Amino acid sequence: MGRFGASFLMYSGVLAATPPTVATWTRVYDVYLTLGVGTAVVVISALLYAVVRYRSRGQKEPVQGAKQHGWKAVLAIVLVMGVILAIAGSQTFAGFTNIEIPNSPGTVTVSVTGFRWGWNFTYPDGQYVIGDLTVPVNTIVILNITSSDVYHTFGIAMLDVKEDAIPGKVNQLWFNMTEMGNYTDAIRCYQLCGVGHAFMIANLTVVSQSQWNATFGAQKG
Amino acid sequence: MFTALYFGVVGAVLALLMRVQLSVPNNDFLEAAYYNQAVTMHGLIMIFWFLSPLGVALFNYLVPLQIGAKDLAFPRLNALTYWLFLAGGLMAVLSFFVPGGAAAAGWTSYEPLAGPVYSPGPGPTMTYLGLMLMAASVTVGSVNFIATILWLRRPGMRLSDMPMFSWFALFTVVAMLFAFPSIIAAFLLVLTDRLIGTVLYAPPSILNVPGIDPSLLWDDLFWFFGHPEVYIVLLPAFGVIADITPAFTGRPLDGRNWILISVAAIVLPISFGVWMHHMFLTGIPNVLLEVFDVSTEIVSIPFGIIVIMFILSMVHGRIQFKTPLLFIVGALVLFIIGGIMGVFLSSPVLDRVYNGSYFVVSHFHYVMVGATIFGLFAGIYYWLPKMTGRMYNESLGKVHFIISFIGFNVLYAPMMLLSDMPRRIFTYQNIGDWAQLNGIATVGAFIFAGAQIIVAYNLLHTWFRGPPSGPNPWGSQSPEWSTPATGSVPVAPVETEPAGGWIGQLPGPQSASVSGPSPVSHAMSAVSHEVHLSSRPLTLSAGVMLFLTGAALYPGGAIQLSVLTIPPGVFPLALMVLGVGVFAASIVGWAWDDIRNKFVGPAGDPGGDRWPYDEVPKMKLGMWVFLSSEIVLFGTLLGAYIFIREAALEWPSPASVHDIPLATANTLILLTSGFTMAMAVYAIRKGDQRGLLGWLVATFVLGSTFIGVKISEWLGLFSGAAPFLPSSSNPVTALAASIYYVVVGLHGAHVVAGLVVLVYLMKKTARGGFTKDDHMSIENFALYWAFVEIVWCFVFPLFYLL
Repeated sequence: MGRFGASFLMYSGVLAATPPTVATWTRVYDVYLTLGVGTAVVVISALLYAVVRYRSRGQKEPVQGAKQHGWKAVLAIVLVMGVILAIAGSQTFAGFTNIEIPNSPGTVTVSVTGFRWGWNFTYPDGQYVIGDLTVPVNTIVILNITSSDVYHTFGIAMLDVKEDAIPGKVNQLWFNMTEMGNYTDAIRCYQLCGVGHAFMIANLTVVSQSQWNATFGAQKG
Repeated sequence: MFTALYFGVVGAVLALLMRVQLSVPNNDFLEAAYYNQAVTMHGLIMIFWFLSPLGVALFNYLVPLQIGAKDLAFPRLNALTYWLFLAGGLMAVLSFFVPGGAAAAGWTSYEPLAGPVYSPGPGPTMTYLGLMLMAASVTVGSVNFIATILWLRRPGMRLSDMPMFSWFALFTVVAMLFAFPSIIAAFLLVLTDRLIGTVLYAPPSILNVPGIDPSLLWDDLFWFFGHPEVYIVLLPAFGVIADITPAFTGRPLDGRNWILISVAAIVLPISFGVWMHHMFLTGIPNVLLEVFDVSTEIVSIPFGIIVIMFILSMVHGRIQFKTPLLFIVGALVLFIIGGIMGVFLSSPVLDRVYNGSYFVVSHFHYVMVGATIFGLFAGIYYWLPKMTGRMYNESLGKVHFIISFIGFNVLYAPMMLLSDMPRRIFTYQNIGDWAQLNGIATVGAFIFAGAQIIVAYNLLHTWFRGPPSGPNPWGSQSPEWSTPATGSVPVAPVETEPAGGWIGQLPGPQSASVSGPSPVSHAMSAVSHEVHLSSRPLTLSAGVMLFLTGAALYPGGAIQLSVLTIPPGVFPLALMVLGVGVFAASIVGWAWDDIRNKFVGPAGDPGGDRWPYDEVPKMKLGMWVFLSSEIVLFGTLLGAYIFIREAALEWPSPASVHDIPLATANTLILLTSGFTMAMAVYAIRKGDQRGLLGWLVATFVLGSTFIGVKISEWLGLFSGAAPFLPSSSNPVTALAASIYYVVVGLHGAHVVAGLVVLVYLMKKTARGGFTKDDHMSIENFALYWAFVEIVWCFVFPLFYLL
């Protein structure tokens, strides 16, 4: 099932191969969407059907002897919902690979510091760039995210990754970008942080591994 | 209720301003600073001064009618609830016009953005102080409702016989009682930061202590309150649905007890165990992500039971399509949609997209606006004939529903699709379909708002011109409609409040005629000479408001009048002094009214309702209920302290800061005062008035000694002058000083309040106001005093010994 309402896919069609975080997210989402829409349709239909089916045809008097449902009905509801939620929850648990930081060789790490109002990216060689994150293609990139002032949230919508940038704390996220290119305004702040919140935007640039190593890859010291 | 509706209009205007701003990309209708104020105050006003009070207003009107009480248990406290609520709301609205503007950090007030560094100026302080008044009002109100429901039911009405709406009222106020202390604690720390310069939420630029991050402390405190709060908002609407559905289906509710069990499960354990799903991105350990994913999924099960039971309650009925029924169906549809969106949000993986986006905005508007407002509208239409004795216009009601329902979905459904657009941005570039979706949403907003003009007209028209509805237009079995001839429920509410109290108390002209001549109404008029009328709650609230406004503005700038210049600080100081004066006069006057027996309690009801501590059993119940909320308050603060201590890598050792032998001696003094207080109770139980006075004096002396020693200790602590100013060499001392002052200071304030009450008790004892059979005040005060000591038994080791 595709993702509808996909305004986030402003680069849809640009990417030949789906990044792993997007693939995982979409897999989880598809299950939730199927179950959610299915449940909504069934329950709302039942409600509307009941209301229309049992509409008054001029009767005013109370109905006698209407059925009361007891513990059996409740047990049925609990079981059905339990199964639905268990399926959904197990998908989420399987999707935790999006959250857990991979521990594999060949990753690159960039430090991200949110400030009012922009993003500072510090590379392994010690140089820093404001407003533009450059990463190598087909490489697991780990971001160490923090903030120098207030609470921000670092999000790349096109990659389905997001993590809070909290002063005094370092949070991590990872992604693996599958296509080179310049993705303008791909990075945004998702937590109200003052008057500049709407403009706390950065670009994502994906270059070849050799080019990235040449520009940023030298280990400092 | 009118007040709540007024605040609702204010909140709605703010929302429309925002929608206008967001209707097209790159708009410059509102500046960012004003947009942020609008977005923040829209949230705060709608939640705290519109939705919750609207539900509580209905409680105020209906609960006494449904359970057969003449009024709430403590009518003057009820007036206090209202006036504190109004004073808080006025402060919040007025803060727009104060330098610094209203709070602009979102209704969630994330720290450190909401702190003094990034939101300077008196405006936000004033907003948050207003919020504290609101929270105080809620606490007082919760105590009152719980005492009312547990003690004032008419003879023969067991709890299990209560109408559903009263049941939901009980659950709502219980949730309020336990949730609001947490937000009081959270904002207390914000306000001490803003007013006296503590550094509890200070950003790294001010306080750089390894391991400390202020944001997570705030998140935990705020959301521990915040999640139960959404159920507090929702439950009154569900109470309406549960209560009035049978009137339109012609059959009883299905699974009544299962619905109640489900609500109980939601309110007490589950709603307090899901707060971390608001914190999935904060870097909490994965095991917590999993636990709170599951707990959040679990909370949907009781809601599922409730919704299915509501649907089953339609089956085999004879459903009449009146306006309230339409709103019930609308509320359920919107709740189902919003609730299922909530299950999406329970997943920490999916939350990587939704957090902070318009998907969340859409979700909580579906549940908090859709389900809540539609449910409350059903109640308003349904009980309007009860309140006014007149029938609303059915066609207009239906038109109102249809336009509202369409407008609502046009407004919020597009937001569901904007899952990559950040919340709370005041403008955006023309990206993807953002422009179209936002444009549609704005159109929907105006449709939805326009529909409310219809209901405003319909309500006013009904109130003044509507056709008489008759005593029971719906043929309902519920006790609030019953005539005295068939039940012992008094139908005419007795006005026992200052004019301008909850509007729900207005006795509609028709509702009086409904009761007709009957033995009960004669009995009612026989006791209606009881006197609760008092202006003290109003003046007390006004005094607090003046003082807090002055405190927020202090020192402020110079004020330039035409000829003379008032130097900085004078005007706020004058406000504070005036506020303290009015407050003190109110308290003293209130106590004095009581000592002179100005208030007359219900005839034949032993004890009567004489504030503070005269009522026989219900007063004691109220005390216990109040203390349970105090336990949550101190528990939250001590939890915050432990949180900070755990996070900090280093901490000054108590021996280096405190004089431990002195503090130990002081602790013994306080414990001894507990013994003397127990002796006082023992004395009056034997009827020994002189002994009582003696032991009370002893308690007072010991308590004063305790507080005196503490004050002298505070003055010398932490190198005196600027205890909260972080030094570069040892910044953690400032943090330690901050949390110490707040917690120990709050305990000290409780001791001082106790001493003030002691003065009143001694005065009354000296006048022979207590006897062997009538000394509930003494018993209750002993309870309070014991609580203060128990708190100290936790505070002392945590701060002085560990």
